[in-house]
Amino acid sequence: MLSRAVRPALKAGAAASVRPVAAPAATYATLREIEQRLKSISNIEKITKTMKIVASTKLNRAQRAMTESRQYGKTSNNVFEQAETKPLESEGKKTLIVVSGSDKGLCGGIHSGLSKQVRRMLVETPDADLVVLGEKCKAQLSRSNSKNLVLSFSNVGKNIPTFAEAQAIADQISLLPGDYASIKIVYNKFVNATSYEATPIEAFSEEAIKESPNFSAFEIDDEVLTNFREYSLSNTLFWALAEGHACEISARRNAMDNASKNAGDMIGKYQILYNRTRQAVITGELVEIITGASASEE
Amino acid sequence: MAFAWKASGLTYNKYLSVAARVVRRSLKDDKRLAAERRGEMDLKMAKWKNGKQGEHQNVADANAASMAEAAGSPAS
Repeated sequence: MLSRAVRPALKAGAAASVRPVAAPAATYATLREIEQRLKSISNIEKITKTMKIVASTKLNRAQRAMTESRQYGKTSNNVFEQAETKPLESEGKKTLIVVSGSDKGLCGGIHSGLSKQVRRMLVETPDADLVVLGEKCKAQLSRSNSKNLVLSFSNVGKNIPTFAEAQAIADQISLLPGDYASIKIVYNKFVNATSYEATPIEAFSEEAIKESPNFSAFEIDDEVLTNFREYSLSNTLFWALAEGHACEISARRNAMDNASKNAGDMIGKYQILYNRTRQAVITGELVEIITGASASEE
Repeated sequence: MAFAWKASGLTYNKYLSVAARVVRRSLKDDKRLAAERRGEMDLKMAKWKNGKQGEHQNVADANAASMAEAAGSPAS
């Protein structure tokens, strides 16, 4: 009856060679576990691959919309450059920070990059008010700076941003009760397909436009100035929205690319582990049969 | 008081979007569908007070309400 005494020890040895922590009787279970793990990883890989493909097809359209809207925003900023408008540095008036994020996650660090930039700006101007576009940034900023929040928008960035959206947001911002010396829009600047940068752009207040050194070059009535400010705010917002959207899509494409790669790596590793474990089990069984046979021969 | 739309409480952006909608609707059918997609707006918003989130509301409704309010008061 030597074999029965030896069997658990053998099994333990077989299991230990693969996974030292595994309990002796768990060899078969781990095999099944590994199989399940493999299956779930390959399912995840399928999903991330599909998301990557979707993002790459969307990326072209988003980039085209971005270059168009960037042109649009630059043209509108041209006026301020000609007029040499500078942000007013008056004491006592508040700053408004508009954060142009989006609703969806799974796209790398673009939302946390925005939030970090905003937090840095809030250290300099602690009493600034916040307007947040998109659920993700809202969740991040409401945890740390919920006192500063005045408005939040959701449903942003489902599709390519339209000018109507930018107008509606600009309307709500200009209807805010506070009188802001400067409005800063924080958005992700598209550097190239793999990198982006959280950047603030300035949308000027009426006084700032009026005080600009070269203002007299334009013949603008005071009444029209309000309209112009509202319009330029929505121009800048549109620009920020479109560029942020393109960044998000390209970041998602990269994130999903990396995720699929990692899943591929894991699948390779688990496949090897699975095969080894299977062989170890078979070897264990063979040893059992042989010892059993030699025991009954005696 | 140069602008009639200003007196009725509209902002310049609203005025623009109304004008744009009219233009889009007067296009021919095939082009209108593509153009009207550019005019869609389905945002939701919430006001925050003292670190607490207020109620969710549709931006279009909120805009309309605040403009109706502005129409009542003498236009600035």
